Amino acid sequence: MKKSSRPFGKILMILAIVFFYLPILYMIIFSFNEGKSLTTFTGFSLRWYQHMLESRDMMSALYTTFTVAILATLISTVVGTIAAIGLSSSKKLVRDVVEQVNNFPIMNPDIVTAIGFMLLFITFKVERGYVTMLLAHIAFCIPYVMLSVMPKVRSLDPNLADAAMDLGATPWVALTKVIVPQITPGIFSGALIAFTMSVDDFIISYFVTGGGVKNLSIMVYTMSKRVNPSINAVSTLVVVIITVALVIINVVPAIAAKRPKKAEMGKRKIAIPCTIGAVVVAGIIAIFALKPEVNSDLPYSGQTLYIYLPGEYMGEEIVPLFEEQTGATVIVENFDSNEQAYIKVTNGESYDIIIPSDYMIQRLMEEGYLQKIDKSLITVWNELDEAVLSPAFDPDNEYSVSYFWGTVGIVYDKTKVSEEDLKEQGFGIFLNEKYKGDIYVYDSERDSFMMALKDLGYSMNTENEAELQEAYEWLVQCVTTMDPEIVTDEIIDNMAQGRKALGLCYSGDATYIMSENENMGFYMPEEGTNRWYDSMVIPTTAESYVLAHEFMNFVNSYDMAYANSDWVGYTSPNLAVKEDLSSEEEEGSYAGINAYIPRTDHPLDEVFVFNEEVKKLMGNLWSKVKIAASNAK
Amino acid sequence: MKKFSQLAVPYIIWAALMIVLPMLLILMYSFTEHGNSIISFAVTFDHYIKFFSDPDFLLVLWRSFTIAVKTTIICLLLGYPLAYFIARSAEKWQNILVLCITIPTWINMLVRTYAWIGLLSDGGLFAQILGFFGVEEVEILYTEFAVLLGMVYNFLPFMILQINTSLCKMDQNLLNASADLGATPFQTFWKVTFPLSLPGVINGITLVFLPAISAFFIPKLLGGGQYFLIGNLIENQFITVGEWNFGSAISMIMAAVMMLLMMLVKKLEVRNQGGKEDN
Amino acid sequence: MERKKLIEFRNITKSFDKQITLKGINLDIYENEFVTLLGPSGCGKTTLLRILGGFLEADEGNIIFNGEEISHKPAYERELNTVFQKYALFPHLSVYENIAFGLKLKKMSKDVIEQKVMKMLKLIGLEGYENKNTTLLSGGQQQRVAIARALVNEPKVLLLDEPLAALDLKLRKEMQYELKRIQQEVGITFIFVTHDQEEALTMSDKIVVMNGGEIQQIGTPEDIYNEPANRFVANFIGESNILPATMLDDYKVRFDDITFDCVDYGFKKNEPVDVVIRPEDIDIVPVEKGKMTGEVLSTLFKGVHYEIMVETVPGTSVTVDMRVIRTHEVTSENGKEKINASNFYVDLEDVDKLDDKEIIARSNAMAWSTEDDEYISIASIEYDIKPELGSYPVVFSTANGTAVERTVFVVNQPFVKNEKANEAIMAFNFFTTVDEIRESQTLDVDIMTWANAQGWKLSDENQSIDISVDYDFEPENVKEGVYKITFWTTGREFKIHTTDYSEVGQEVGLTFFPEDIHVMSRMDF
Repeated sequence: MKKSSRPFGKILMILAIVFFYLPILYMIIFSFNEGKSLTTFTGFSLRWYQHMLESRDMMSALYTTFTVAILATLISTVVGTIAAIGLSSSKKLVRDVVEQVNNFPIMNPDIVTAIGFMLLFITFKVERGYVTMLLAHIAFCIPYVMLSVMPKVRSLDPNLADAAMDLGATPWVALTKVIVPQITPGIFSGALIAFTMSVDDFIISYFVTGGGVKNLSIMVYTMSKRVNPSINAVSTLVVVIITVALVIINVVPAIAAKRPKKAEMGKRKIAIPCTIGAVVVAGIIAIFALKPEVNSDLPYSGQTLYIYLPGEYMGEEIVPLFEEQTGATVIVENFDSNEQAYIKVTNGESYDIIIPSDYMIQRLMEEGYLQKIDKSLITVWNELDEAVLSPAFDPDNEYSVSYFWGTVGIVYDKTKVSEEDLKEQGFGIFLNEKYKGDIYVYDSERDSFMMALKDLGYSMNTENEAELQEAYEWLVQCVTTMDPEIVTDEIIDNMAQGRKALGLCYSGDATYIMSENENMGFYMPEEGTNRWYDSMVIPTTAESYVLAHEFMNFVNSYDMAYANSDWVGYTSPNLAVKEDLSSEEEEGSYAGINAYIPRTDHPLDEVFVFNEEVKKLMGNLWSKVKIAASNAK
Repeated sequence: MKKFSQLAVPYIIWAALMIVLPMLLILMYSFTEHGNSIISFAVTFDHYIKFFSDPDFLLVLWRSFTIAVKTTIICLLLGYPLAYFIARSAEKWQNILVLCITIPTWINMLVRTYAWIGLLSDGGLFAQILGFFGVEEVEILYTEFAVLLGMVYNFLPFMILQINTSLCKMDQNLLNASADLGATPFQTFWKVTFPLSLPGVINGITLVFLPAISAFFIPKLLGGGQYFLIGNLIENQFITVGEWNFGSAISMIMAAVMMLLMMLVKKLEVRNQGGKEDN
Repeated sequence: MERKKLIEFRNITKSFDKQITLKGINLDIYENEFVTLLGPSGCGKTTLLRILGGFLEADEGNIIFNGEEISHKPAYERELNTVFQKYALFPHLSVYENIAFGLKLKKMSKDVIEQKVMKMLKLIGLEGYENKNTTLLSGGQQQRVAIARALVNEPKVLLLDEPLAALDLKLRKEMQYELKRIQQEVGITFIFVTHDQEEALTMSDKIVVMNGGEIQQIGTPEDIYNEPANRFVANFIGESNILPATMLDDYKVRFDDITFDCVDYGFKKNEPVDVVIRPEDIDIVPVEKGKMTGEVLSTLFKGVHYEIMVETVPGTSVTVDMRVIRTHEVTSENGKEKINASNFYVDLEDVDKLDDKEIIARSNAMAWSTEDDEYISIASIEYDIKPELGSYPVVFSTANGTAVERTVFVVNQPFVKNEKANEAIMAFNFFTTVDEIRESQTLDVDIMTWANAQGWKLSDENQSIDISVDYDFEPENVKEGVYKITFWTTGREFKIHTTDYSEVGQEVGLTFFPEDIHVMSRMDF
């Protein structure tokens, strides 16, 4: 072959390499960023690595990812190889059928496979968690292993095994000493594919996991809505692990090959997996070692508290301090939405504390998924704000203890939006084409319909279909004429960065935004808005009932409530905390920020009431709004 | 080798449990109502009717299809020349380049997609570069462009590797023979190289199209909530809305669409009857 | 011949990874010739062909094609076509499309293409196969399609790279005639690469013998066969008797102590040369009429002729005694170990070469466990052998102290010299047991070891020669006693192809004409 310079190819190749590695490089660089921003580098720092190491969530995600990948690779390689050997000597009909069946997971979209597994585990009441994730990974890896082993097995001389047995080998020896060495390249590449698939998987893991077990993908997916540079740190760590593994795979054989003695050659084959194995085991031990030890003298040692709450919704030090004080282990699982929490809880997933919103508490209560709290065990009643006591959904505080509360309003850029417009139009400002392309709409049917209904002058709890239809049209008009971005928590960082002029926002998030960016303001329309309460409840499936009360007291005690509210930015139910955090004299973090003090005196403000029919209708209409938005682009 | 046939038995049982049974369950769910159990249920076609009678759902399906097609075409247009370049490089370079393409796929897809958010967001590197060239106020994140970029980024390696494999397998003498018979390099490419690499191209198309049509985290992360594809719809039904039966029906529809497309592709492959050296 | 020069290779060199594959090739090829590049694998013949085809570029040198320098022309512009080793048929095209490939590139009209392809299919005898998938054809059919695909373009030259290598013997023979016929029918130059000398002789007008990147000889098949330029060519082509000789003067060559007339000249006086005499050029005649005489060693019927081996210079032989004695192994006191060894003879001169290893080998000493028959190593050997004639005791023992004593006889063994054949051989009397003979897997080799039989050249003691062994007992029926063993070498043998039968053992005369002696300059390998 002649080698011409081929400049076009070279340039394309270089561009491709840049394309492939730029994001990875970018990620690595920003993992060392001092600030939180993903766009401006403010200085070198290792704080996100420290944060990562301190975050058990991340370390356990890392641990889950790699242990699942290694175990799934090992098991699926062994099983797949054996099955491939067995299959190749089976009848053609059997072989064809199994090959066809194996094609399902390969040829089906991942999401279908994932749903299949999820339904399987749910139907047969298999508790979802680490084991189910591992099983699913094994199941989808085996067909790939077989796909790469089968052709090698088929190309073998069919007399090979017979020859070995003729020479006195047992079938086992013939298999391990004759057949397997012949197909090693196939097995190796199969194992590699299996490992890649497993490490890379998100969709299947996402649907089959439970009990707070997360791998890296799930963690990134649930965390990525708010900028969290620790993800960069964790990703950088993954890149390092992969690179080290690659170096080991490529360099160790090279070094081994340089050894003069031939006798070493045999050992080399064992040496590589051994080295890799050793590194992996060492890594796992290191990760395990980071887990704090349980002090057995404490009152609740040995008990586990399962908490289920929205993502990024608790101060970082709360759980470690609680564990330190009680000796209990706390497992935190996050949900995306109240609806997701509802599905999990009603499917029998066991938690000790859930922190849903008002209407969802009402629904769970009505449907009998909650148990009453033992009021005598709650010691913090007298510290709580009057406003959070006796809410409409639980007037006697029989089921819930407040966690955070607030309102919904409009976050706006004071430099771009005139206050007159806001006062005149209220939520109607989201239809004002002056701000076209400069608004965020919150991706939640409840909040979007609230906005529309309030602007139309209706109750947000209306059951009138005509009114809902009107609201739907209002929203369609908004998404088709205003070119909004429909996002969820991304709104927080984007508004903090001042990227757009207007956005619908929870008061707590607005508090954070305003503390980050002084140009931002928070406005609660006179048309009324949604006042909401997120409270702690105990589901009937709870196993640590008393410990749950302990946590409720702990998290609402002054110090903890202060830390919690300070970190998250949401309004604390602890009256003293609320006052201190917003007070100028006390140098509270949220002094002068109106969003931190929820409006309690406006007659048009409402709390959500659950109505199944309305909810379904809203859900479907909202999907259609999004589709309309999608189609408008 | 007959002695080894019983080795397949455990796997056959496993496959029945872990592959066939889940598919049957989806099928069952898609034809039943919420609250039915495996023991007692009533067959209904409501979910399918609901999907096909609503133009909005069909539009979502169509959009997913078109974006997957776009992704596939872009991957093919970029992937083929890259694979060709690698296959024609010196052997030492071939291995290095293949490794370069493979390594990113070892890093979690979500992690890599997440990395793009920073690059594409307002004020991010891309916006700064564009700003440098005087192009201001261009939004990249949360646009179809961002979604396409994310998909191409994630799936392009599959295309390159598949095509590269089929190009490397090709007998150099076939190309020599073509030149010998008077074909210029350009003619050789279109008359010999390309037709013979078709099996790789088809594999590549499959490996890109399949995840692209069902993707839901790439549109969600890079496209925003207004980017609603069939994958998001299914996720939505299972995770947020809780309509498992309807979700199962959509899954079945998607699986059926995929199977149909794959059969079409297989037909194409047979007609082109390339890749004979595999047997 | 007034044929036109078509291709000229001028000083072509080529190396791969610093290894020189072609060392300055100069070669002319004429119109309408069937030229064969012949040589063992790795000789550079395929490289040369690929350079001509345009698939490789020479490091140096020029190729002139039809008066035009084409070294840097790409393959697709060269007016020649190739039939590739494994045919390189396009798997995605049918037989018809394969053959039409080149024509379509030339943008010929459809009906012209069809006409030409059909004509070709007829030429290669594959009418009716046009829509077949090429991968489903047999090897011979694929071969024909490959030829047709190349020929249809009406090239001036057709290159064939070992095209018959993948075919079975019968098909190969058939295709040889077929190719020759096609070549004659289309009347163009064929350049054919092969390592099969018979193929080359059958088909070619001209053979180019190559080895080590160099051309060894160019000539017609007859030239190459009858007048090989050197030992390599003589050896590579056909069967031959090659012997060292001295060129006394023009037309006078001397070998085996006899001076012969020959037709060769131009060598230096007394120059050492090689002489080739083809087996079919030698005649067997009565002893008194022969230029040489010898004894018939073997007669092999080969169908048309007999292949007779005649020994003109006798070999050397020596006979020794083999004493087969009773087994007398020693068993340890606890009965768990056994040890055994044999007496042996050693030459006075070799005494100082004796060491533990040598003694164990010569005495065939061994120890084993009675429980599992596993060998046990011999831990110690005690001996004190002086370089004087006589007998000396040797004690072999295992680590556990099981011991056996044997005797070594130091003798002054004469060796047998054969001045004429320039060699000598020597062997010793030896002791062995019935069991050892019966259990031996390679008795001839073992006997040579036991007898320490050796042979060497008189001119160079370090150059050993092959020895054969003869004995007249049947190993499975051997009993204790003394047996005669003869060690011998073969002498100068001539291979003769003749239709007349000769009895083995018969004394015969050999004769040949002066022109049958082909003198070649000696090459150093």
